[in-house]
Amino acid sequence: MAKVVVDAMAMQRALTRITYEIIEHNKGIDGLVILGIKTRGVYLAQRIASRLKQLENASVPVGELDVTQYRDDIEHDSQDTDPQVTVSKIDFPVTDKKVILVDDVLYTGRTIRAAMSAIMDLGRPKQINLAVLVDRGHRELPIRADFVGKNIPSSQQERIKVSVSEIDGHDSVEIIER
Amino acid sequence: MDTEIQKILIIGGGPTEIGHETELDAACVQIMQAFKKQGIRSLLIDNNPFSASLEDVQPTNMFIQAVTADNVQRIIEKEQPDAILPTVGGVTAISVIQELQENGVLADNNVKTLGIPADAMMDINNPDRLNDVMRNVGVPVIASETIGTLDEAVNVANDIGYPVIVKPIAPKIDTNRMLCENETDMISAVSRGLSWSRFKQCVIEQSIVGYKEIELVSMRDTMGTQVLIAGLENIDPIGIHSGDSMVVTPTLTLSNAEYESLRDTAFAINNQFRFTGVVHTHFALRADGESYYVTKVTPYNDRGTSLAACATGYPIAYVAANLYLNQKLTDVRLPDIYHFRQTALLEPSLDHVVVRIPLWPFEDVKSADRHLSTVMKSVGSTIGIGRSTEEAILKALRSSQFSPQDELPSMSDLTDSQIISQLIHPLSSRILILLEALRRGYQVDELNELTKIDQFYFVKLKHILEIEQDIRKHPMSVDALHEGRYYGFGDGMIARMWQTDIDNVRQLGQDNHISPTYKGIEPSAGELLGTPTGYYSTFELENESQQLSDKTVLVLGRGGNQLGPNASADYFTTEMLKQLRKSGYQTVIMNTNPNAGSLTATLTDKQIIDPVQLGDIMNVIAIEHPVKIFVPGNRHYLTRELRRRDYSISILPPDQEKRSELLSDHANIGLDLFVTEGHIVPILASDLRSDQGIATTLDQITLMRTPASLTPQQLDAIIAHAKSYIGAHKRTGMVQMLYTTNGKKEPQFAGVRPTRLTTIAYLNKVTGINWVRMLVRQALGEIDEELISKLAVDIHSDRRSQVRGTFPFKQLQLPDQLGLTTQEVGARISFETL
Amino acid sequence: MAQRFLILEDGSIYPGHGFGAGATTTGEIVFNTSMLGYQEIVTNQIYHNQIIVFSQPIVGSIGIAHDAYESILPTAKGMVVRDVTDISKNRQRSLSLDQFLKQHNIPGISGIDTRHLIRQINQTGTIKGSIVDVADDHAFDQLHATVLTSQQVAQVATPRPYPNPNQGYNVVVIDFGLKHGILRQLSKRDCNVTVLPWDASAQDVINLDPDGVLLSTGPGSPLDLPESVLDMIRTIQERIPLFAIGLGHELFALANGSEITKLKLSHHGANHPIRKVITNEIIYAMESQEYVVDPDSVDRDRLITTYLDIIDGSIQGLRHRDYPAFSVQFFPDGAPGPNDSVDLFDEFIEIMGTRE
Repeated sequence: MAKVVVDAMAMQRALTRITYEIIEHNKGIDGLVILGIKTRGVYLAQRIASRLKQLENASVPVGELDVTQYRDDIEHDSQDTDPQVTVSKIDFPVTDKKVILVDDVLYTGRTIRAAMSAIMDLGRPKQINLAVLVDRGHRELPIRADFVGKNIPSSQQERIKVSVSEIDGHDSVEIIER
Repeated sequence: MDTEIQKILIIGGGPTEIGHETELDAACVQIMQAFKKQGIRSLLIDNNPFSASLEDVQPTNMFIQAVTADNVQRIIEKEQPDAILPTVGGVTAISVIQELQENGVLADNNVKTLGIPADAMMDINNPDRLNDVMRNVGVPVIASETIGTLDEAVNVANDIGYPVIVKPIAPKIDTNRMLCENETDMISAVSRGLSWSRFKQCVIEQSIVGYKEIELVSMRDTMGTQVLIAGLENIDPIGIHSGDSMVVTPTLTLSNAEYESLRDTAFAINNQFRFTGVVHTHFALRADGESYYVTKVTPYNDRGTSLAACATGYPIAYVAANLYLNQKLTDVRLPDIYHFRQTALLEPSLDHVVVRIPLWPFEDVKSADRHLSTVMKSVGSTIGIGRSTEEAILKALRSSQFSPQDELPSMSDLTDSQIISQLIHPLSSRILILLEALRRGYQVDELNELTKIDQFYFVKLKHILEIEQDIRKHPMSVDALHEGRYYGFGDGMIARMWQTDIDNVRQLGQDNHISPTYKGIEPSAGELLGTPTGYYSTFELENESQQLSDKTVLVLGRGGNQLGPNASADYFTTEMLKQLRKSGYQTVIMNTNPNAGSLTATLTDKQIIDPVQLGDIMNVIAIEHPVKIFVPGNRHYLTRELRRRDYSISILPPDQEKRSELLSDHANIGLDLFVTEGHIVPILASDLRSDQGIATTLDQITLMRTPASLTPQQLDAIIAHAKSYIGAHKRTGMVQMLYTTNGKKEPQFAGVRPTRLTTIAYLNKVTGINWVRMLVRQALGEIDEELISKLAVDIHSDRRSQVRGTFPFKQLQLPDQLGLTTQEVGARISFETL
Repeated sequence: MAQRFLILEDGSIYPGHGFGAGATTTGEIVFNTSMLGYQEIVTNQIYHNQIIVFSQPIVGSIGIAHDAYESILPTAKGMVVRDVTDISKNRQRSLSLDQFLKQHNIPGISGIDTRHLIRQINQTGTIKGSIVDVADDHAFDQLHATVLTSQQVAQVATPRPYPNPNQGYNVVVIDFGLKHGILRQLSKRDCNVTVLPWDASAQDVINLDPDGVLLSTGPGSPLDLPESVLDMIRTIQERIPLFAIGLGHELFALANGSEITKLKLSHHGANHPIRKVITNEIIYAMESQEYVVDPDSVDRDRLITTYLDIIDGSIQGLRHRDYPAFSVQFFPDGAPGPNDSVDLFDEFIEIMGTRE
């Protein structure tokens, strides 16, 4: 059983709101960089960046972050180090920048912890903020999002499925009961 | 912009028939203009000899072939187009593309379909799948089920309950919905429907007869930007095919909330299917406005989109063409004549009313059943534009009656029981009956109950009758004349009511300054200033139409489409207009057919949509002072009256009835010639046949083919005879000499007649010379020795070709029969190389 | 129908037929190019002091509907139309437009070449006019002598607070002459609404502990309202999510340092494409404005331009850089007009949601 909790329109609105909140929070976009966590976080990051560009008429660099290597809850075996899937694409320095980290779903917090480790390996940012489309609760680490598209209280038996039109053909967030 | 696309195969509309006339061709012309501007090569397949689009493509890009999947496949394989365009080919094109999609031809040859994505293509004329999509979008749908056999049909219909509607799935012809009151009706409808369906399937659904039928026309680009162009309101309820219904735009009896929710739904459907270009969405609305259904989605050009374009001045087909090429609505640039830079994005707002009234084939096909139903029967339509509903209705009505002196027929002979019966079971004379019923004192609510037509329209019709009474009671009264003209009564009608000459009526108007004021047809309702090219007249304060130039030609159109020669009349008018412009004249066209290519804004300098009647014409003349007026040959009264007033007129298209000199009622060989003072140019000798073989009378000749069955000696003999005959008899223009042959004997002369309009179109295609333009140049005095000597006509060519009339019998549910020239609804042309 | 006249300040006289009330009135002549919704238009309080010219060829054809009022006591000064149809067919208590206008003492005049009138106003700019029985010198003297009030908001806005209870977010609506569409949309989203008079102070608002504040539409010039209104807005926007529409938008802009200019020609229509800057989407909405935010005056360190009219380039939406406060010039509630932007109310709800 899948239930749509965020439709395409609502997802657009959530990203729009997050964009404005980023401007509010950072007093503009100076020194801002956006890092999307693979896979869907990258598309969300790109959409936020394109919105910022529309509003501020200036580009914010967007990078792609792969955190598989840094996860503490995934066993590393040889297959996981396939360079094609594990390489991050960040062609700008992060030191002294204000980093907006973007992911689709915030759950245990372990992905975000891993992402922060990955960022620290690249340099020393001035600050890191977290933007997520969905916060579903059940944190295992002391991590909190600064910008949230939608809070979706869920049980651990449920799965949250985020679809983005770039790869899934449509935009939606669904709750799927296992 | 999509730069991948360089070459596009356009599927033409094929022969005109009940369901579509010139609107597809007119849209095609505009689309090709837009493509040309983008540097794209258009290929066109069509076998309609009256296609103006075929005139606009290079011979190497022209495929005069029937629109079938096989033919299209062959062209695709040979020409390797980048894309294929199904949106000006009606349902046939949709059906052909579906087939090519299923058998993989499009994918194998890497051909992209423009406008309609592949999955949408499979859904749009499958009511069952359409309903599934509707449910996804959250749109209410009607209870329905798909069936493949009569037994299933009986069961399903019993479940749903009569009356039910039967619709064939993926029909090969433009059908709509067939209403069945009982099992017998249903079985007959299903049998027909199954035979029309490509999948041998029909849908049976709950009847929504009596609901209000509303249509929306919208545009969408690949980014998802959408513009609503127009809302069309059917005056007649569901139960009468929308093509046979009187239609009004803008919608006049909807609340804002109703209208906006239909708009939201149409847009949601367009997004769901990812259509690009123009979409025509049909809705059925319960009279109380509480609920509605989507009944049909046509993401291509049709009579609805052409009405919307005509009513708003928004160049739908031209804009759509740009959208097919992935251009954004925000970026579309219109031709210079559109003065509003942002027209493509401005949602048209109207300050006038447009009414469309259908035209019928029944005068020419007497045996057909004249009852209106869910199966379309009309062959054309005509519109009236006014600042009030009354004015628009009256103008449309006047144009729909083809009365030479601009009068309306009387229904006063009918008995009361006939009136009641016709109110409940409407005939093609629908609107005249409604007027007659009101005249006899039927009440508005009562009529609303009987007909399901909104009260509003009866209030308006009643007002028309009141004004009529007023005019009658006050002969030669200035106030009555003013009121009459203000509400759309023609000078001819008023003259008749006052039992006086039209000149007296016009003099009264002139003496008292009751002058026509032309209003622009443009999409901003006067908010943005600019100079539109389209106008209609009314009688108010401000006139916006000024004289174009001192070298203007006024061309009178043939009005709405009908059976017989009219099928080619608009093609003829279009070609005339092209030549006139080429000859250096400013052109003004008067016409009332919303589907006419001759009303395309880029073709002429000014378009006037008013009844083509004496009073209205004189009004245009008073402003434009044309140096010449072209009058269609069938308008004898007009010709006489305009001549009497010393205007310089030319009769084109030529008169088809007059000046035939026949020795016999039979002929099997025709020789067409172009005749000027001093020159006789034989064009083509052909066999003349009926649709079913030998013709016993001339009016059965609806098929021509070449080469003629003549020996070289016989051919030489008839050419010699024709030359000497014509030399002796004073005749110019296009003439057809008729002969009968019997074996190798000398052909017998049977008579001479003007070349038929349909034949002229055929001659154009066969010889590659545009004889319409030659006739225009003749009328303008441009024919000289040099021009004649350049005409490369090969009368001895052995190229095989054939033109054959098509008839509406099947759609009128009549048995197949021998068709007459007056019954032709269209024609198909074919070539074969020996 | 009796002959009556529409006369304009520039001396022009338009004869027509009277309908509705027989009163003589004077107002600013404005035109509306919507094709539907005459009832919603004539009941909108933004037309206080104004005579509305309808470009739609026919009004009255569906009577008066119980669910299409935008105010209870309309204050428009008149309707000018080409044609009016006297029909009533709504529910048990049916009412025609003619009867409705009589009830509210609003005169109408039909049989006018409205297209010509609109094209003329287009050139002269906004102009005063009267609907009168006799178009004589006296009538023109009266017309010239009439001074229209600038206290328009005070005349149409509620003098005292009233509630519209529900279970959802607690929203305070400041009434500058609001259209019902705003309440309808909040109600649809379960908001617990309190409507406060236009001169409510920031403290009055804060005392109600709202999740969000909405500044409503209304008539006239934002410059005619006292500075205290702008103070209220500046205080509120720092603390509570704010959504402003129409006159509310103009006040929001003023409160944040922008300037407002009067349009040479007021604009009322629903067919202009509007670009939503953040996504480049095109939407359509009912625009009804006499004033516009001067784009050169917008302090870009405080405000972001969010919506732009593509036809005339006017600013149609703003958002504060530092606070969750935003505004639109057009009417996102439709009534009449497209629903394309109705989800601005959802945006407002979602912003309130993030503040929990």
